Amino acid sequence: MDTNPAINESVVHAEVLVLGGGPGGYTAAFRAADLGKQVVLIERYPALGGVCLNVGCIPSKALLHVAQVIHEVDEFEQHGLSYGKPSFDIDKIRSWKESVSKTLSDGLARLVKQRKVTLIQGTGTFTSSHTIEVKTETGVTTVSFDQAIIAAGSHPTKIPIFPHDDPRLWDSTDALELKEIPKKLLIVGGGIIGLEMATVYHALGSEISVVELMDQIIPGCDNDLVTPLYRRIKKQYQNIWLETRVAAIEKHKDGLKVSFEGKGAPESAIFDAVLVAVGRRPNGKKIGADLAGVNVDEIGYIAVDKQQRTNVPHIFAIGDIVGNPMLAHKATYEGKIAAEVAAGLKAGFDALTIPAVAYTDPEVTWMGLTENQAKQQGIDYDKAVFPWAASGRSLSLGRKEGLTKILCERETGRILGAGMVGPNAGELIAEAVLALEMGADAEDVGLTIHPHPMLSETFAFAAEMITGSITDLYIKK
Amino acid sequence: MAFLIEIKVPDVGNVADIDVVDVLVKPGDEVSLEQTLAVLETDKASMDLPSSAAGTVQELFIKPGDKVSEGTLIATVLASSEEVNVAKPQEPAQQAAAPAEATVEKTPEPVSQPLIVTPEPAPEILPSAVSAVAAHATPAVRLFARELGVDIQKITAGSGRKGRIVKDDVKNFVKKVMAESAVQGGSGIPAMPAVDFSQFGEIEEQKLSKIKRLTGQNLSRVWLNLPMVTYHDEADITEMEAFRVALNAEKSKDDVKITGLVFIIKALVAAMEQFPQFNASLSADGEKLIFKKYFNIGIAVDTPNGLVVPVLRDVNRKGVNELTAELAEKSNKARLGKLMPADMQGGCITISSLGGIGGTAFTPIVNAPEVAILGVTRAKMQPVWNGKEFIPRLMLPLDLTYDHRVIDGAEGARFMAAVKQYLGDIRRLLL
Repeated sequence: MDTNPAINESVVHAEVLVLGGGPGGYTAAFRAADLGKQVVLIERYPALGGVCLNVGCIPSKALLHVAQVIHEVDEFEQHGLSYGKPSFDIDKIRSWKESVSKTLSDGLARLVKQRKVTLIQGTGTFTSSHTIEVKTETGVTTVSFDQAIIAAGSHPTKIPIFPHDDPRLWDSTDALELKEIPKKLLIVGGGIIGLEMATVYHALGSEISVVELMDQIIPGCDNDLVTPLYRRIKKQYQNIWLETRVAAIEKHKDGLKVSFEGKGAPESAIFDAVLVAVGRRPNGKKIGADLAGVNVDEIGYIAVDKQQRTNVPHIFAIGDIVGNPMLAHKATYEGKIAAEVAAGLKAGFDALTIPAVAYTDPEVTWMGLTENQAKQQGIDYDKAVFPWAASGRSLSLGRKEGLTKILCERETGRILGAGMVGPNAGELIAEAVLALEMGADAEDVGLTIHPHPMLSETFAFAAEMITGSITDLYIKK
Repeated sequence: MAFLIEIKVPDVGNVADIDVVDVLVKPGDEVSLEQTLAVLETDKASMDLPSSAAGTVQELFIKPGDKVSEGTLIATVLASSEEVNVAKPQEPAQQAAAPAEATVEKTPEPVSQPLIVTPEPAPEILPSAVSAVAAHATPAVRLFARELGVDIQKITAGSGRKGRIVKDDVKNFVKKVMAESAVQGGSGIPAMPAVDFSQFGEIEEQKLSKIKRLTGQNLSRVWLNLPMVTYHDEADITEMEAFRVALNAEKSKDDVKITGLVFIIKALVAAMEQFPQFNASLSADGEKLIFKKYFNIGIAVDTPNGLVVPVLRDVNRKGVNELTAELAEKSNKARLGKLMPADMQGGCITISSLGGIGGTAFTPIVNAPEVAILGVTRAKMQPVWNGKEFIPRLMLPLDLTYDHRVIDGAEGARFMAAVKQYLGDIRRLLL
């Protein structure tokens, strides 16, 4: 039994309770506090920031930067720049990565204090439609609330038949820990998470194999945008098996023996580590939602309306737990809506697109309508693809495989979708998102002066290809 | 060989926004040719939507409450080729099934899953709005509209560059809507107060049918806009009735019997030919009178769903027998709810007959933009003074309501006199 009755029996009241301190949760908590609400934020880990900040976006970006430096130095050897063979101090890299996360989560802790948000560290489970129980290190705290925002996130999908107890079988969190550099690393799942980790471990010296069920890597993205990345990693990596799945993984003394099935299935082989990156599952079933009367579907998703309300009107849900895409920037947008609606403002989900970025090398990014969707929906569109081989900036980076693609409504020229592939492409997509939200057409973008020589010019060039005013290319009429 | 047939809303006479009241089939049902698939309702009538093919319903595209118009896809029916009737074969059923498989394979999730995981269609929060239908407005303006409760899709053109909707457009939209509602409520008529009847006893609420609701709106509008006069008189139809009875006696048992209404129609048209201002409409601005060179008569028919007015066309060119058959057919269709909107358009003047029920007089309301309506109640044997004695004559009460903006009182009396004369001696219809 707990020895601290004061905490054990404590009951805290919240005008707005936020369950989960990831990007969606802390954004919702801060916004609600700024709108005058008295807020309690429950986070199960000591550090705020959730998956994104601790075991997702941020640490992976730190490691990806390491990979980028290694690659750039390596590739410039042929242009006359040589530092010799790079050497790694893996412990130092790891602690640098951790320091990046820590800087940010410490910053969040300060913001919590400044906004007078009550932070309770522990695992929250609803006990009724107006109460939640938090198991803390010291006991159980009950929080009663007027309104609640569920931001409890997701966890990596596990495949039941795989030996998850074996430390050589990783999920993305394990991979980010950077405990060791396996000689042979198999990545199950050729989506964004898998390919980002492939980029890191390849740069650090692992032999990478990727197995993907679909007929292309990064399914959901237009094939033409994925192709430059595919061509590059096809040379760098040991194997990329498409339309193939893992049939079984056996524990062996010298590694994990993996057997495959499908169109490109190779012979079974031994790997030093296997990273399973086949998506994420929502945490809807772990929070006692039923006791609060909140509907959770089979998989664990919670359905919400445009105001982020669940079926229980005073309980909201945001982020991974309400649906794909499971992205921090979607969660923060939704967090603000939930907080604003809870505070009585007339907000609603009204974004036209949620951009996607794969921080691979080259980076792949897209927003709005993809060309696949445009075809499926029978939309009459114009397309332009500007090759980065005609961009001075790209060539001076030593790269020429990039592309900038733009899709416009044929009748009006209005921008419907865009995508880029190339080094730093992820930095370029925001302009396309802004153009879409502002209802800009290709002419607007083409007439906007873009600084030279920058990669961002390629977006304007692609727009000029739509309007026919491009001079940086010659297009035969 | 099976074919997938698309069933669409047929030509119903240039009417948009037809309500789907009921859907009578579901996917998997066997349907036969002409079987009713759904019940539609316009502001004038409800009608059954027949299947143009026999076969199995594959997919339904409408549900009660939807609005449809000519050409709207209702359902797909899988029919065998010999049963294909009207619609042309679209595509083989096998092909229709194929894309479904393809879409399952291409789950748009950004991460892949191995086959052993059951496909999980995660709820997608997606850029569905990115297309031509999305309003041309920036996020801040869309939020502003949301705050004011304005559906931004209703603002069709903005004043910004390239028609972009700006904040002022949202404000102006609100002003316009408020001004319109002020005009509507501003005719000086206080609204009826709500009464809680349940405090006096048990009650039951029933929603008005669309026909009843719209008829009500239209009648109120007419009542408020038209200065109406009703003029009453009686026509001697003793000879007409004798002729009618004699004609019907010649008919066999299965023939449709001639009714008095058909003679009234003929008499009315003859009077309209004599007094063209009764076959006219006032232009919307009230500046012009529009004379019609055609003679279409609307007949008010009482149906279980409400009052409908089928129109008999070119009555001046049709004989009594032809009109009798047409009247019987249209009345029957009206009662079965099978009138198409085209059956109810283009009337010049309307007859409202309560003769089958009773009455001595009433004041019908003009079916504007027509300028007059003739009311009829039950004919009665009455003593009529012929100068020497009272003789029994069959007298038919007639009530003529007219739009006083178009018809003067004397004109109304002369018109009624003409109608009476034609009914009193139907030989005059030949002249």
